Amino acid sequence: MIFDAVQSLLAPSALLAVFIGTVAGMIVGGMPGLTATMAVALLIPVTYALHPLTGLVLMGGVYCGAMYGGSIPAILLHTPGTPAAVATALEGYPLTQQGRGGMALKVSVVSSFIGGVFSTLVLLLTAPLLAIFALKFGPPEYFLLAILGLVGIVSLADEGRLIKALISGILGLVIAVVGTDPISGSLRYTMGVRDLFDGVAFMPVLIGMFSITEMLKLTGATRIIHEKAEIRPIKREPMPKGMGKFIGLGSGVGTLVGILPGEGATIAAFLSYNIARQHSKNRALFGKGNPEGIAAAESGNNGCVGGSLVPTLTLGIPGNSVAAALLGGLMIHGLIPGPELFTKHGVITYGFILSMFLANVIFLGLGLYFAPYFARISLIPTALLIPAVCLFSALGSFAMNNSVFDVYVMLFFAVAALVLERAGFSLGALILGLILGPIAETGFAQGLIVGHGSYSVFFTRGPCQVLWAVILLLLVPPVIQIYRNHVRGAKADG
Amino acid sequence: MLKRIAPLALAMCLALPFAAQAEYPSGPVTIIVPSNAGGSTDATARLFILSAKKFWPNAEFVVKNVGGSGGQKGFEEIAEAKPDGQTIGMVFTTQVVAHVVSKRARYTLDSFHVMGNVADDPEIVVVPATSPIKTLDEFAKAAKQKSLTVAVNGIGSDDFVAAKKFEERADVTFNLMPTKGSTEQKAAILGGHVDGSFMNLSQMFAQHKAAQARIIAILSKKRSEILPDVATGIEQGYPVEMTATRGFVAPAKVDPAILAKLDDLFQKVMADPEFLAACKKNNMYLLPMSGPEYVKYLKDEQADTQRYFEKNPW
Repeated sequence: MIFDAVQSLLAPSALLAVFIGTVAGMIVGGMPGLTATMAVALLIPVTYALHPLTGLVLMGGVYCGAMYGGSIPAILLHTPGTPAAVATALEGYPLTQQGRGGMALKVSVVSSFIGGVFSTLVLLLTAPLLAIFALKFGPPEYFLLAILGLVGIVSLADEGRLIKALISGILGLVIAVVGTDPISGSLRYTMGVRDLFDGVAFMPVLIGMFSITEMLKLTGATRIIHEKAEIRPIKREPMPKGMGKFIGLGSGVGTLVGILPGEGATIAAFLSYNIARQHSKNRALFGKGNPEGIAAAESGNNGCVGGSLVPTLTLGIPGNSVAAALLGGLMIHGLIPGPELFTKHGVITYGFILSMFLANVIFLGLGLYFAPYFARISLIPTALLIPAVCLFSALGSFAMNNSVFDVYVMLFFAVAALVLERAGFSLGALILGLILGPIAETGFAQGLIVGHGSYSVFFTRGPCQVLWAVILLLLVPPVIQIYRNHVRGAKADG
Repeated sequence: MLKRIAPLALAMCLALPFAAQAEYPSGPVTIIVPSNAGGSTDATARLFILSAKKFWPNAEFVVKNVGGSGGQKGFEEIAEAKPDGQTIGMVFTTQVVAHVVSKRARYTLDSFHVMGNVADDPEIVVVPATSPIKTLDEFAKAAKQKSLTVAVNGIGSDDFVAAKKFEERADVTFNLMPTKGSTEQKAAILGGHVDGSFMNLSQMFAQHKAAQARIIAILSKKRSEILPDVATGIEQGYPVEMTATRGFVAPAKVDPAILAKLDDLFQKVMADPEFLAACKKNNMYLLPMSGPEYVKYLKDEQADTQRYFEKNPW
C-alpha cells in the first residue's frame, strides 16, 4: 500500500501541489495575522474540484510551510508570524542585530526540518498507539499542562528580575480574564464592547508588543544591525556546533505536546525553549541571541505538525485549529477519520503523510538557499523598513477578525510594551500568561466539574502525577539558582 | 509603465461600484458567516457560492468569517449591514435565538429577512464505548443513582438546551460540563473523562461507527439514514427534540425587489442537483425550508428557549 501511495504521490499534479502549498504556506506563515488555519479553510472549496490526494497534499504543504514561515519575520524583524514563533523572536532577533541573521535563519530552517520530519515519521509509524496516549489527557491534565507552560516564566526572567517577570506573567493572566467566562457564559470586563466578548485577541497584542514596539525603538537607528557591529556583506555562515541535542529535545517535546488536542504549537515551542535554557552550557547567552534557543523552539513548533495529525486522522479529534480545517477538507472527499482511513483509504492517507516529508524537504531547500537574501532585510534603511512593517502589522491585526478594534488593541499594547520593557518587565512572560491563561482556567474549572468539586482530581490521576513531577523538575533548579544568587548577593553586601 | 497603468486601474476601481448599481445581481455580494473558517456553517456558505455563481454570473460572492461569541458578532453584523443587498449572511440555531432570549443580542428576529434553511444537524446523546449505558432509560436511571458528568457545548448552545430539556423530562440533574466546542467534547467522551455528552450527529457518527463511542439516542422526529440502528428519543419515551439548523438571511430593510431576487436565488440553489450532491458528499443533512417556514421555525424555537431560560437563566 505504501508503494501505491508513493506512486500516486509522484504524479506531476501531486508534486506540483506539494510545492505550491509549501511556498504559499511559507508566505502565509511569514505574514503576521495571516494564519495557516485561514489558508487551509480557503483551500477547502478549491480542493473539492481536485483529486482527493492532490487537494490534501496542497493543504498539508500549506500547514508545514506556514509553521516554518512564522520564524522568518520573527528572526529578522522581531515580528512573530505565528504565536508559536515568539520564543524564536527572543533569540533570533538579537542575532540579526549582531549581523548574524543569515545564521539564525539557517538554524531555524534546519531545526524546523528535523522537527517536522521526526514528527511525520512518528505519525507514519505509531499513530494508533499514540492516539491512546492523547485520550488519557482530560481537563485536569490540561490545567497542569498550562501550568507547565507558565513555569517557563521563571526561566524567561533575566538575572535578578524574577519578581518583575512574575508580575508580567500575572499581568498577562489578568488580561486573559477579559471576555466570556468559559463555564457560566457571563461577560467579564467587556464594558459592552462587542469585540471584547471573546477576550483580547492575542495576535494583535503579539504584533503590537513585538513588532510595533521594535519599530518604535528603531526610529533612532539607521538600520536593524547595531551601528557598532561591522556592516559587511552578509556571508554564508556555517551551522553552529552542538545544535543536535536541542533539536532532538524540541522534536520530542513538540511531537508529544502536538498529539494532545488543543493549542499545541505555542506550548511546545515555549516548553522546549524553557528546557533548553535550563540545560544549556551557554545559559548566559539566552535572551541575547543564542542559536540553541532557536533550535529548540523551531523544532518544537514544527514537531507539532505531525503530532497534531495523530488524533485528527485516527480519532477525528483535531489536534489544533489548522488540523480542524484539514479535517473539513478530508470529510469533503468522504474520508472519515478512523481505522478505515489507514486501510480502505490507505493510498490517500499514506500518500498525504508521505507528502509532508516532501514539504519539509522543499522548505529546507528554499530556506537554506534564500537565507542570506532574506537576511539582507536587516540592511534596509529604517526610513523604508519602519513604514512597511507598520503597514503589514496593522493589516495583519485587522485581518485576524476583520476588526478595526484590533488595530487599536495593537497600538495600545505597542505603547504599553515600550513602557513595560523600559521598566524591565518581561514581554515574553506577559504573552505566555495571556495565551495560557484561558487554557489553564478552562482546564481548572472543567477539572473541578469532572472531580465533582473535589481538588483531589488534580493529584490522584496518573498523568497528573507525571505532570507534577515534570513541573517540579523544571521549577526546582532555577529556584535553587536564584536562592544561591541571593545568598551570594547578601554576602557581597555584608 | 506603472504610471500608465495606475490611472486606468484607479478608473476601473471607481467604475465598479457604479456598474454594481446598474442592475442588482452584480458586484461583490458578501456572505457573513458567523463562525470561523473550516466549520460546517462555513462549508455550507462556500458550497452555496459555488452553485450561486452559476445563476448570478455578474455577482462576485465573498465569504466573511465573523467568528466568536457563539455567532453573536456575526448575527449583529448582518443585522446592522448596509441594506443594499450586497451583504447577506447565515444564521444557525439555537444560538441565533438564544442570544435574543438572554437579552445579550443587539438584534431581534425582525432584524432579518429570512431566505430559508439549508441543512440541519440533529442532536444526539452519546456515551463512552466502555460505558454500560445503552438506552436513554438506563441513562436516566444512572443519573438518579449518582451524579453523571455530561459535556455540552457552551451555555445557551443547542447541546445545553437539549440537556436541560432532557433533565426536565427524566426528572434528573446532570453535573453539566460546558466546553469550548465539539473537539473538547469528543476528547472527553473518547477518553472516558465524562459519563455522557449532548452533541450533534455529524460530530460523532464516525466514532460511533468505529466503536470508539456509543450514540444511545438521536433527538429528532425520525431516525437518521446514516445510523438506522440508533433509536430516536421519542421512540425511547423521552420526547426531546433538538437540532442545529443552518439557513440564510438578509438585513430586513433591504429593498423588497432585491429581497425577491435573493429568495429566488436561494430556491434555485436549493434545487441545483450539483449543490445537493456536494452537500451530501460533505456529510450535511439537508432540511430545506422556505423563508416563511423557517421564520415560523425560528419563532417557535425562540419561544421554547425563552421558557427554559425563565426556568433556569444562564
